[in-house]
Amino acid sequence: MSDAPAARPPLLEANGLAKFYADGNVQALRGVSIAVAPGEFLAITGPSGCGKSTLLHLLGGLDRPTEGEVRFRNQPLVGLDLDRYRAREVGFVFQSFHLLPTLSALENVQIPMFEGPIPRSQREPLASELLAEVGLSTRIRHRPAQLSIGERQRVAVARALANSPSLLLADEPTGNLDSKSQDEIIALLARLRGERGLTMVIVTHSPEVARAADRRFALKDGLAVDVSS
Amino acid sequence: MRFTTLIAKNVLHRPVRTALTALGLAIAISAVIVLVGISWNFERGFLAIYRSKGIDLILVRAGSTNQLSSSLDEGIETRLRKLDGVADVAPTLVDTVAFEDKNLAAVLVDGWRGGSLLFRGVRILEGRMLDPRDRDAILLGRILSLNLGAHSGEKLDVAGRTFQVVGVFESDSLFENGALIMPIETLQTMMGRENQVTGFVIKARSAETRDLDALRKRVEQAFPGTAASPARDYVTGDTQIRLSRAMAGTTALVAFFLGGVGMLNTMLMAIFERTRELGLLRAVGWRRRRVILLVLGESFALALVGSLLGCLLAVIGLRVLTLFPTAAGFIDPNLPPEVMPLALLMGVGLSLLGGTYPAIRAASLDPIQALRHE
Repeated sequence: MSDAPAARPPLLEANGLAKFYADGNVQALRGVSIAVAPGEFLAITGPSGCGKSTLLHLLGGLDRPTEGEVRFRNQPLVGLDLDRYRAREVGFVFQSFHLLPTLSALENVQIPMFEGPIPRSQREPLASELLAEVGLSTRIRHRPAQLSIGERQRVAVARALANSPSLLLADEPTGNLDSKSQDEIIALLARLRGERGLTMVIVTHSPEVARAADRRFALKDGLAVDVSS
Repeated sequence: MRFTTLIAKNVLHRPVRTALTALGLAIAISAVIVLVGISWNFERGFLAIYRSKGIDLILVRAGSTNQLSSSLDEGIETRLRKLDGVADVAPTLVDTVAFEDKNLAAVLVDGWRGGSLLFRGVRILEGRMLDPRDRDAILLGRILSLNLGAHSGEKLDVAGRTFQVVGVFESDSLFENGALIMPIETLQTMMGRENQVTGFVIKARSAETRDLDALRKRVEQAFPGTAASPARDYVTGDTQIRLSRAMAGTTALVAFFLGGVGMLNTMLMAIFERTRELGLLRAVGWRRRRVILLVLGESFALALVGSLLGCLLAVIGLRVLTLFPTAAGFIDPNLPPEVMPLALLMGVGLSLLGGTYPAIRAASLDPIQALRHE
């Protein structure tokens, strides 16, 4: 099953993706196809265990499909340097933030820059700008433990933008947040998308996040069951 | 942020564990450099004896691996002196005695002939030099004098015989400073080895290698059953030197591996605790080699601190060791400077030994599994 054809040439495209685990006994995805246009905001929804995160990992080059292929700018991911792809083309935001506890917000944002194109002398000023962009200009020297949950996710969003990726992949970015922080993150992502022309694919259980998306892609038992605009 | 800043922050994240690991490495490194340093000083001390006296060849019984086990007829000295190329000859008899009341188990006793070339480099600090006519007279090395609390003009019992301490001396060799010198005839009588010596030291007319080699051959031909060796060869071939070198090497190897296992344990624990962080690094595009560099960098930083601390501990430890009378006559309190680079080299070795496997393991983590790690 596939979604409706995108109007513009897709930035990211998946064809017939299947993923088996545990020696082929568990099938997380069963022939899913999807296309994401540049600048589009796609929400992947569905019940727990339906394969949403697996699909996101395959799109982000964190895992390889058992069957099918993912193409980025019409290039199959299998032919790309996946480390470079993740470092320069993709920004990841996770439900649990995954900030390094020993580093300040400013230093956490610089972590992806070690593999990016930004010269060392420009990393700190750029990280500072990114933190200002997510509304944390007064909290840059704070460590994750000194920040609120919502602020931590803002740092994670700033980190995802460190190498100016074209694609932002988020796995339940509001899953650990209270409703106020959730609204702030949704607004932040929407603003960043508008300002930066980001393409966003977000896995979510949240109806609010899903409503903010251009399209919703619903999965059930590893199959795409509904695509709505 | 610099890469080294990240390494430093990771190392300092667990200050107690870092300090304990560095201390463990420091103890291992200090044990190695103290032992190796003592062994090197031991060898140098022996060599200094011969160099300071201008001795070119040492003649002992063939097959004997140290002076104590050699025995030659004193009578060959006259013929030895007449050999072409020989400038001077001195017989020597060596033994050890104990001063149990002073906790000194093995003090070197040199039996020398008054006025012989062996007295070169011996500087009198108290009293006078041995006279060829002296019999029950002894000279005490500076350290031995301190350990015994005996001085010039006093009486001293040596192996059941009373001697007059006629002087206290200092030499360039630590071993001589911890030894006593008595007339060779007296030592021969005490040991029941009349007309026997442990060997001869020879000063050649020419110290050129080729001339010395020719003289060595002439000596061995003239006196079958003897072995003449240049000072350096004699010292490096000495059983005690070889034994000290082997012991130092073996203990160093054991200490090195113990240090390596400690480092391995710490780094593996650190990697395990930081599985999610490492998964994040891989997820955001860090290459495996950068993760390897990060972990190796952390183990190197630990090893560097351990090496520097180890050098400090070694310097202090050796000085403390020489406060004990038994060790003072044999152990130089100063570490040879060459052992310091050895400590750093060992640190690099330890960082590789303890850091390589954890680094490879960290770089091989599956980012998805690592991010889910609890």
